[in-house]
Amino acid sequence: MKLLLPFHLHKVGAGFPSPATDYVEDDIDLNAHLIKNIPSTFLIRVQGKSMNIIGIHDDDLLVVDRSLNPKNFSTVIANVNEELVVKNFVKEKNQSFLTSGSKKLKDKINLIENPEICIWGVVTYVIHAL
Amino acid sequence: MLYSKNKIALVDCNSFYVSCERLFNPSIIKKPVIVLSSNDGCIISRSTEAKVLDIKMGEPYFKVEKIVKKNDVKVFSSNYSLYGDISRRVMKTLKQFSPQIEIYSIDEAFLDLSSIKDEDLLKHGNKIRKTVLKWTGIPTSIGIATTKTLSKAANYVAKKEKSGIVNLINSKQTDEILSKININDVWGVGRQLTKFYIKNGIKTAYQLKNMHDSWIKKNTNVFGSRTVMELKGIPCTSLEIYQEKRKNCCVSRSFGRKVTKLEELDESITTHCLNAAEKIRSDNQTTKRITVFIRTSPFQKDKNYYANSKDIDLPVRTNDSIELVKQALIALKYIYRKGYKYQKAGIIFSGLNDADVYKKNLFSSINSEEKRKRLMKAIDYTNIKYGRHALSIAQAGLRKKWNIKRQHSSKIDTACFDFLPTAKIA
Repeated sequence: MKLLLPFHLHKVGAGFPSPATDYVEDDIDLNAHLIKNIPSTFLIRVQGKSMNIIGIHDDDLLVVDRSLNPKNFSTVIANVNEELVVKNFVKEKNQSFLTSGSKKLKDKINLIENPEICIWGVVTYVIHAL
Repeated sequence: MLYSKNKIALVDCNSFYVSCERLFNPSIIKKPVIVLSSNDGCIISRSTEAKVLDIKMGEPYFKVEKIVKKNDVKVFSSNYSLYGDISRRVMKTLKQFSPQIEIYSIDEAFLDLSSIKDEDLLKHGNKIRKTVLKWTGIPTSIGIATTKTLSKAANYVAKKEKSGIVNLINSKQTDEILSKININDVWGVGRQLTKFYIKNGIKTAYQLKNMHDSWIKKNTNVFGSRTVMELKGIPCTSLEIYQEKRKNCCVSRSFGRKVTKLEELDESITTHCLNAAEKIRSDNQTTKRITVFIRTSPFQKDKNYYANSKDIDLPVRTNDSIELVKQALIALKYIYRKGYKYQKAGIIFSGLNDADVYKKNLFSSINSEEKRKRLMKAIDYTNIKYGRHALSIAQAGLRKKWNIKRQHSSKIDTACFDFLPTAKIA
């Protein structure tokens, strides 16, 4: 999966040469920007409803890094009820919860009370087509 | 402080194909799962839960269908593009722990840990397992020892331990562990050698280790002696860190159903030929010789059994798809016989060499060669960009009725935008 966009520092023409030519000119690499750890980073496609509060929509691509540990308010992929789902990770008084972004209490899952639920990876970017 | 010179770890992924399927499908975690070989023929990977049901490795699928139904075993067709991508991720992760690594197979690698202090080996091994699991989701077992053969043996035992790791360096248990390993499970001891050793009363790795050098030398070949030396802790083979370029390239498949017509065999040989040509071009190699082979099922009765192959030596080494397909189809025509139900067809390129070193032939015209090269580059580029077989040659056929059965494929590919794993918002 390669995505390389040409990155021009100056136009070719007559006259005074650009002082920037001494600097290495390279193609801009979106992969290097989006993927910090190659072996642990996966692309996952969103299926179903949207999560408007965090700006994730149906059919978006998520860049997910498994090597990271979730921080407070991280968006994560978790394994809930035998499915991979997108959730919000929240910490409150030494306890960790998964929420669906809404404030409804019934959506809040306590991770200590539900040891079978595990975090699959941390979402680092959303790729959304306009 | 103890400091052994040679320290080798064998890292092996547990039920690798099953683990790959489980990674994106949590509903099959803790359930019996099996993965079938291409064409859904035999069982090639089993979860621990499936092993308990007495489903054997390599067994034909139809023989276990009853057990599968009764116990709701989850069945998957092999999905090699997924397994290949996950394997690359595992190997890349392992390289962080030691740049000296020999990738031994899709799910195994030898790591040189000689720079680690003896007393830190277990801790280091555990860190490797933990990291691979977290980063790639794949559980592994690790065996550590002074030789490759011993690290294989250690790994064999590690698989059965809850800790998933066994270190034989400075271990007093080495002999005890070796006596638990059957002779046929020793690395490098094949079927024939197993028969021979058992006939001579050698049933375990421990017994083999204690055989006298002269007896081994007299009764086996150099590989047999190496295995025994390595069991004694004397390293005989080093890690093959630099992957040598391949000398042969074989692409073959069993058909999804029996094939009788020459046109269908033409299509399949063309497709295999194109795949093989793409492979050698990606390694910048050319081939000297093409072998085409076809056969019916080996279980056919004598009269209905047919197998044949034909070699063609090329006048000029090449990796040009069009030229190779032309030659392959001539070879196929030569061996094709009417009235047989063919089950498998394939192609082998041999005598591979670097494309840069080939000599110009008196009859080769440089101009058309350059054009062809550019055409091949355009084909490869298009296929990388738009998916396999986007651009092909017409002989390969479009419908490919003969193509392999993959009824139970998860169809997930972590390296292809069209088949990415999915997550729901709930």
